[in-house]
Amino acid sequence: MPVVEIPTEKWKGKIREVTLGGGGRKTVVVGGETTLPFLHFEGEMPNRPVIAIEIQDCEPDWTGRLVSAWGDAVKDPASWAKAAAAAGADVIALSLESAHPDNQNTGAKEAEASVKKVLDAVDLPLMVFGPYVAEKDNEVLVAAADAARGTVVALGSCEEKNFRTIVAACLASGHVAIAKTPIEINLAKQLNILITDMGLPADRILMDPTTGALGYGLEYTYSVMERLRMAGLQGDGMTGLPIMVTPGEEAWRQKEAKAADGVPEAWGKIEDRAIIWEAMTATSLLLAGADVLVMRHPKAIELVRATVDKWMAK
Amino acid sequence: MALTGLDIYKLLPKTNCKQCGQPTCLAFAMKLSQKQAELAACPHVSDQAKQALEAASRPPIRLVTVGVGDGRKIEVGNETVMCRHEKTFFHEPGYVVRIKDTAGDDEIAQTAAAIAAYGVERVGMDLRVSGVAVENASKNTAAFLKAVDLVKAAGDLSLVLMSADPAVMEAALAKSASSKPLIYAATKDNAAQMAALALKFKCPVAVCAEGLEAATALAEEVNKAGVEDIVLDPGTRGFADSLVTLTQLRRLALKKNFRPAGYPIITFPGEQASSPEEETLLAGQQVAKYAGIVVLERFDPSTIYPLLTLRQNIYTDPQKPIQMQPGIYTIGEPGTSSPVYVTTNFSLTYFSVAGEVEGSGLPSWLLVTDSEGLSVLTAWAAGKFDAEKIAKSAKTSGIADKVSHRKIIIPGHVATLRGELEDELSDWQIMVGPREAVDIPSFIKRTWN
Amino acid sequence: MAEEKSKISFLPSHAVADVPKGTLLVDAAEGAGVHIDIPCGGQGRCGRCKVKLESGSVEDSQNPHLTAEQVRDGWVLSCLATVAGDVVVTVPPARARERVADTAAHRTAVTVHSDWPLDPAVRGYYVEMSAPSLDDNMCDLDRLKAALGRTHGLSDVAVGLPVLQDLGKTLRAADWKVTAVVEQGNVNLPPRLMDIRAGDRTGTSFGVAVDIGTTTVVVYLTNLKTGELVKRASAFNRQISRGEDVISRIIYSQRGKGLDELRSLVVQTINELLEEVCTSLDVPTSAIDDMVVAGNTTMTQLFFGLDPKTIREEPYIPTAVHYPPVLAREVGVAINPNASVYALPCVAAYVGGDITAGVLGSGTYKSDVLTLFMDVGTNGEMVLGNADWLMTCACSAGPAFEGAGVRCGMRATTGAIEDVRISSRTYETTIKVIDDVKPQGLCGSGMISAVAEMFVTGILDKSGKMQVDGVRARMRNPQRLRSGDHGYEYVLVFAEQSGTGEDIVLTEVDVDNLVRTKGAIFAGITSLVEGVGVTLTDIEQVLIGGAFGQHISVEQAIQIGLLPDLPWDKFKFLGNTSALGAFNALLSREARVKTDEIAGRMTYLELIADNSFMNEFMSALFLPHTDLDAFPAVKAVLEAAG
Repeated sequence: MPVVEIPTEKWKGKIREVTLGGGGRKTVVVGGETTLPFLHFEGEMPNRPVIAIEIQDCEPDWTGRLVSAWGDAVKDPASWAKAAAAAGADVIALSLESAHPDNQNTGAKEAEASVKKVLDAVDLPLMVFGPYVAEKDNEVLVAAADAARGTVVALGSCEEKNFRTIVAACLASGHVAIAKTPIEINLAKQLNILITDMGLPADRILMDPTTGALGYGLEYTYSVMERLRMAGLQGDGMTGLPIMVTPGEEAWRQKEAKAADGVPEAWGKIEDRAIIWEAMTATSLLLAGADVLVMRHPKAIELVRATVDKWMAK
Repeated sequence: MALTGLDIYKLLPKTNCKQCGQPTCLAFAMKLSQKQAELAACPHVSDQAKQALEAASRPPIRLVTVGVGDGRKIEVGNETVMCRHEKTFFHEPGYVVRIKDTAGDDEIAQTAAAIAAYGVERVGMDLRVSGVAVENASKNTAAFLKAVDLVKAAGDLSLVLMSADPAVMEAALAKSASSKPLIYAATKDNAAQMAALALKFKCPVAVCAEGLEAATALAEEVNKAGVEDIVLDPGTRGFADSLVTLTQLRRLALKKNFRPAGYPIITFPGEQASSPEEETLLAGQQVAKYAGIVVLERFDPSTIYPLLTLRQNIYTDPQKPIQMQPGIYTIGEPGTSSPVYVTTNFSLTYFSVAGEVEGSGLPSWLLVTDSEGLSVLTAWAAGKFDAEKIAKSAKTSGIADKVSHRKIIIPGHVATLRGELEDELSDWQIMVGPREAVDIPSFIKRTWN
Repeated sequence: MAEEKSKISFLPSHAVADVPKGTLLVDAAEGAGVHIDIPCGGQGRCGRCKVKLESGSVEDSQNPHLTAEQVRDGWVLSCLATVAGDVVVTVPPARARERVADTAAHRTAVTVHSDWPLDPAVRGYYVEMSAPSLDDNMCDLDRLKAALGRTHGLSDVAVGLPVLQDLGKTLRAADWKVTAVVEQGNVNLPPRLMDIRAGDRTGTSFGVAVDIGTTTVVVYLTNLKTGELVKRASAFNRQISRGEDVISRIIYSQRGKGLDELRSLVVQTINELLEEVCTSLDVPTSAIDDMVVAGNTTMTQLFFGLDPKTIREEPYIPTAVHYPPVLAREVGVAINPNASVYALPCVAAYVGGDITAGVLGSGTYKSDVLTLFMDVGTNGEMVLGNADWLMTCACSAGPAFEGAGVRCGMRATTGAIEDVRISSRTYETTIKVIDDVKPQGLCGSGMISAVAEMFVTGILDKSGKMQVDGVRARMRNPQRLRSGDHGYEYVLVFAEQSGTGEDIVLTEVDVDNLVRTKGAIFAGITSLVEGVGVTLTDIEQVLIGGAFGQHISVEQAIQIGLLPDLPWDKFKFLGNTSALGAFNALLSREARVKTDEIAGRMTYLELIADNSFMNEFMSALFLPHTDLDAFPAVKAVLEAAG
């Protein structure tokens, strides 16, 4: 048989490694790749992509099928965090949803309490998200940063309009910033530059390029991630950072994951379709370079974990 | 290697004669480099240049067609990039479902009929399953021929004929060659006979061998026998090996111009999967990473639909975003007092606005204007989302008959259009909505009674 | 141990300071009571503190603000040079220092000139004929033709009715000694008799080159016999009152009689200018026998009364790009009514005759080296190429550099701030104002200068946002950085010093506008470069036309990412290249033929059809650019500044 010479890409760059947890808690390291996803034959992928399971600090307004997958655990962030840990979470992603002005409009005090509860309940690393309202994010994330002093948590989301406050909190308490930009490679890089110009080292940033679910802009996220990852591997220090995506939230926002009735028969059974919607959003994004997945449904999580196992097996 | 416009220009006559339809030779050269023009359009190109350009423009992956059905035939290959953002992925992989000839006549007929009947509409496109792979599991010629007949009777499904026995294959081809089935497969044991069948019946043939080197060697052998339309099965059945092997094949074809790797690839994601979900996720990987024909073990709408959606996403031309049909869309069941939002017909804009409007809990009307697939800001900057256009779509859509109020909500990014719109739509009150879709729920809560 | 001191003498004041080795010259001067301005705060960024070493030596580092010649002559920057022993230095007066700085700024102001052999399309031919008699009864026209053939070798001269109508009278009144004004557009066309003038008037046949700008119209009255530029005059295009940019003019042209009105307004503008120059020279405007106009596609169409509607709408199609010969009386310009009006050919809807003229005038079309020609106004047009090929594109830059959309923006006229320096120590601001009057506002070069200085001194971050924390604490006058109606603003000139009685500020919104403008222009350049398949560093020279370029500092334009980071000596400012091209086409038939060829050879890249433009644009919406590695010189400045 003739020997075929396999072309390999020798990338000169390496994705930075970002560490979460520590300080007596479990540690998770993400990033560090010197190859495109799972192409072990030409580079290193020293850290497997991790799954962060999303929990909220109040009962979620999620679709019934998703809520019931967690049962009564959702009534309290501590019990939910434990359930998430039992479901195999590498990281707990706590959403301080109650702080939203349209929700309970809770503030710093409640945020601090929720963070402490979750930290006490499990020994996994933590990510904390605000309600995506700039002023509220500033308020509750600064409180969360303070409450989590001593361990490294990831705080999200820093956006172009409010990153300064959150980055300052990361600087003060030793945390990691999640830099979120609207599906555009230049904006992602620009925000990373602005954040590092403030003095936060690049290995304390996770990029959130904004997730589009399957059928709802997935291809945009997919291509922006491929471009970011390739630029990073080519040696661009301001794009070569680990990428975090939110397939759980985005997939479960869509009709395909929520609607059992009033949809075409060709969509098939909601039970299977909904799980696949989240799982396939996640696996597709892993192929584009995701390092951290924030997910929601235990069954989808199980499927994705099994898939990552197969990809990581050499 | 692809030539740049300037490389090609150097080979052209530089007369700027315009006979090719382009204003200058350089413009023509750039169209050629983007594969948007044919060299034949130039009446003055020298033979020498022609040879050089043709060699460079030969597609690195052969375009192979399976089936003849309208909207059903599989045309794959001719890809030019590793990543869709570099240009686009051109030819969508076909999904086919495997049916064994041991399944029983009724089940075969029913499954084939269900596949033929299946169709789903998504953002203006009709998505379908391409066909059926009939497997000669029985090792019996008559049973195989019967199964092929049953599948053919279901409609114009594209066929993959699966048998390792050249005699069985010949019998099946004799009945079905006109529908251009894919012969699966030439192996190291039967390659010469299968190649002969492919030539005799003018059908494409898959070569199956374990691993990249064996598969490409076999492809070369079959090609030497005179067969051009070849599909590769490198035997990989799992996630990791498939990802690596298919990536390497694509690279060999594109970057090394290694001809034996320059064929579409057929995959079997369910063959070793432990669950339908696993099969589906692996099929998804193969759609993203370089498969041309994906053979599924089962037909189930709840897994086919996500796969069709993924294929649509991945194969959308990044230069030409998916557009929504302009017009009125309903969110929930709006009535005469429901809000009316205006947005552009860029699919992503539409989805995010529709999603947030739905999230607001208030049934609404969504007036989608024709912005030629651009987002709000881009369309506005390009003059494709101005007061005139919005007014026109408000007037022609018939929204005035659907609501009793006269309020229309425009995106916050185009707040500057308010004055002009008030002139154009004098009986309407123009409300300026939020700049970002995500703020719609709180906006409408504050402003709509 | 006593420190070793050096003696520093300053001329012309003979002031002396004794300072330790290693002292900066500027500090030594301060000690001696000699004040040297260091507008940039002493980082060698502005080059304004040059002094000349008369004897002794100093330690100093290489600096791009000093030319090799200046270094040889002993010039050093007093903010960088340190004392290494006894020295004598001359401190030039402030004015002189400015001039020294100017020579280093790579500026060349060029007025119109022509390198083509003088060969105009219109010439006057003096002929003398014998009067007719009963023996010599040839008709007037044949008599004239015979004389032209005999004396000047002209044959087959065509004559129009208007000339014929006056012929008999003029010949007799002039006693059969006349100047025949004859046009011959090219050698293959028959000559055309345009006018008959009594006596020898060959020396007083004039032509006019007209640059029809969207904002300004300029006329160049030229003697066709000598090829000499007689008089130049300019005025605002009267169409401005109907819209500031081409798009709003096109919109206006769609109203009732809008098109005709716009046509009349530009013709009126030209006629008034012709009247002005002719009156001052005591020449009748009817002695102008040829006119060449250059304008962008919209201006050209409006001048001819061609509906520009389709220029604005996809797929952006002009009525014509090569215009047929037109007579002055058909257009309504007040010159010899039988004269031709020649419009330089356009390329596409947004690349017009002004750019064809620019490519001709700048010599881009015959360049051996890869040349980027750019003409920046409300639209930015670029041409990349050489003698072998030419590629062009246009991007909508917006009118910010022309003063619109910027709070204290103004045109580059008296009172405009054209240069800004901010001290990185004290944040005190030094400005240069056109004509040295009290400042009224900022013109384009002033804006570029202000943004660049604010950026390198850390007042602006890379996204163009003002940084209050940290900066304000170090400011001598913290009032300069304040919160305004729309975000933060920076006070360049306080009301007491300004000519308007109000503070002259640059706001965050202004900066945002300027960043968008420079981003569009830079994205146009990179899209063009990538469209062709070369890289920025392949560019061997950058030729900049348009009034815009005249006074900008290349260094600062690079610092904000408006121009690519190439060695400064690769940039040349050519002034009004549109007028230059029109002037050449007026004086040389060969140049005129060349413009047709150039226009036909330019390949137009439509940026709207090109997604990569949007990507380039997003990437350019940053200071200096998202890819800082593409701006090594700026990166070095930022790193030096910490």
